[in-house]
Amino acid sequence: MILDLHLHSELSDDSRAPVEAYLKVLQRKRAERPLDGIVLTEHRQFDPARDYRALEDRYGFLILNAAEVETDYGHVLVYGVNPDILARFDFSDVRLSAQALVTDVARLGGIALPCHPGRATVGLCDHYQRKPPLEGVVAVEALNGGSKKGEEARVEELVQRLGYKAYGGSDSHLVSFVGVCATEFDAPIRSMDDLVAQLRDGRYRPVDFRAR
Amino acid sequence: MPERLRFDDVEEGDELSARSFFLSKDQVRAYARAGGQWSPRFTDDEGARREGLPGMITPGNMSMGILASFLEAWAGPGTLRRLGTTFRGLVLPDRTIRLCAAVTQKDDASRSVELDVWLEGEEAERLVIGTATVALA
Repeated sequence: MILDLHLHSELSDDSRAPVEAYLKVLQRKRAERPLDGIVLTEHRQFDPARDYRALEDRYGFLILNAAEVETDYGHVLVYGVNPDILARFDFSDVRLSAQALVTDVARLGGIALPCHPGRATVGLCDHYQRKPPLEGVVAVEALNGGSKKGEEARVEELVQRLGYKAYGGSDSHLVSFVGVCATEFDAPIRSMDDLVAQLRDGRYRPVDFRAR
Repeated sequence: MPERLRFDDVEEGDELSARSFFLSKDQVRAYARAGGQWSPRFTDDEGARREGLPGMITPGNMSMGILASFLEAWAGPGTLRRLGTTFRGLVLPDRTIRLCAAVTQKDDASRSVELDVWLEGEEAERLVIGTATVALA
């Protein structure tokens, strides 16, 4: 089961990509990007009312909702967002405590995973040079479709040193790049509950479909 | 009058032929001076370094202009209706850049298309990304 765990639609302030257009690209490029679904991670927001079931039925892809938030250790993806998590954290706050996020999201039934950790300023690696490592981090985004030269090497070192699991996502803001990096799971995933359970305890790995 | 690309000849998923060219410092200086952008960051390596930059950089509006002319070379002059970009990295001159675009949506009512458009550096890193609306014949 292969999912793109990190992408933004037109609901994010820096993207104009309609969800349906993402699905059309995945349909057209199935041979080179054999994905089963996507997880939308809009910036600093989560709308529980979003419902993509009609698109799921029409295109045959799993579509899940998560969020990308901003913390004192850089950007973090939050999966399994529920009313308790939304009551505990204001996702629009750009200075959330990463430690509180990782700890409390797990306690409340979700999982918070740092993304693009190799990126300057907004990535975990930079923050770890000045601050102690976070407790309870399960995995980091080892492949990000928007990474620049050198970022992935920094993340590889981080994963080796701290024993994190690794996942991948396209971080696409443009339709064309959906699924260029993704995560392959050994177990099937049919819901956000399945995804959270697999990210915590399952077996998975980042996969790279970027053209070389 | 140059011909416009026809709406019916374009499909969602079409990828424009990428265009690569060497962007020289002289080109960037000429653009900056013509636009009254006299900041050293656009004209002088030493001055740019004093601002904490690795060397002189390309003005954002020049990158947008390059992308705009790339799109109009494909679709025909006067066809670009909208171009929005995000600047992800510094566009440093004295290097080869690559311009890319793909058609993502067609709108029958307006006979226009939406495109993803981006400018890559020598390591294929996307330095400028954006979307555009182009009206076709």
